[in-house]
Amino acid sequence: MLACLALSLICVVYPIYVIRPFRAQGARELAAALVVMRFRSAATLVSCAAAMAALVLYWRAQPRRWRRAFATAGAAFVCVLAALARVNIYELMFHPDDRPSFAGASRTKLDKDEKVIAVKIGSAGRAYPIRNISYHHVINDVLDKVAIVATY
Amino acid sequence: MWGRDVAGLRLTFHLAGINNQNFLMRDEQTGSYWQQISGKAVSGPLRGSQLPFVHSDELTFGTWASEEPQGTVLQDDAKYRFGYQPKNWDVRMQRAPTVIDFREHGLKARDLMLGIQAFGASRAFLYDQVIREKLVKDHVGAEPVLLVVGRDGQSVRAFRNRIPGVQGAPDFYRKPDGVLVDAATGGEWNFQGCAISGKAKGECLEPVEAIKDYWFDWRNFNPATTVYGKR
Repeated sequence: MLACLALSLICVVYPIYVIRPFRAQGARELAAALVVMRFRSAATLVSCAAAMAALVLYWRAQPRRWRRAFATAGAAFVCVLAALARVNIYELMFHPDDRPSFAGASRTKLDKDEKVIAVKIGSAGRAYPIRNISYHHVINDVLDKVAIVATY
Repeated sequence: MWGRDVAGLRLTFHLAGINNQNFLMRDEQTGSYWQQISGKAVSGPLRGSQLPFVHSDELTFGTWASEEPQGTVLQDDAKYRFGYQPKNWDVRMQRAPTVIDFREHGLKARDLMLGIQAFGASRAFLYDQVIREKLVKDHVGAEPVLLVVGRDGQSVRAFRNRIPGVQGAPDFYRKPDGVLVDAATGGEWNFQGCAISGKAKGECLEPVEAIKDYWFDWRNFNPATTVYGKR
């Protein structure tokens, strides 16, 4: 049970610790954190299942109620961590614009001096106002049948 | 800006992390992580892959709309309008702290630069200096380049300074109305880099991507960069 708890805690806490804003990221620790993030959904799920199995065995072997309660809380926490491992804080914080909409230049009310990121593919021109894209940071788009991602 | 079709997949990206204040994107299809500034996969099944480069420019809306009257513009998402940034976001962000710093060339971490990575080299130009000079004639690696400020005094484009059929790097100068004139053909060139008069009429200079970035970020991901006007 303790091993499950330790594994799940590492899976959830380590990437948050390494990849947090206003902290310098070293190359090795960042690579390790990204590997943890990649595999943590499966790892914490296995950990949750193992914790529940351990809890069943513990209930059979341990008659004292407070110890059983303690073990139950531990197993529940491991499973909560499994749920948290499926959440990427950045993806929550920086709201993606999943359905970007567009209008013609003449129908768009922007000051003339507002900055835009401009792209042209074939004969199709598109502009991404910086005041908008600096909030979403990532816009998945298709322009003239070419799939592009505008970033800022 | 990057293309999203890689290894036979059409990828959809989300902002999913940060690497020394340059963000990481995760693709839904493989779970790989991609560095924003380089378009390179740094972790996951597609590690080492490179997103296809798509040229873009940072312009004022007025300049862009005059060039692309039929163009389309990303609209605000009503749900998030409260969070959209004022129009001088990059200048306001200059007050934000940084976690890394490179005290070189007398530059401050949040100095705004125009960075060019091309022709096997990296070179950075102080944005304010380019705006002041209006036309910068320089080299990136061995290739001559031009950085041109538009008539609006804010938009900047970069070009490879080569005219088809003309040997060497032609000498350009900029008229007060923003039109460029090259000494080799005597032709005039508009802000899109295309000749509008002279022998080269109809020819266009090859655009070069100039990324507006803070010094610390540009230098971190371009450690061999040189800086215009600095030794």
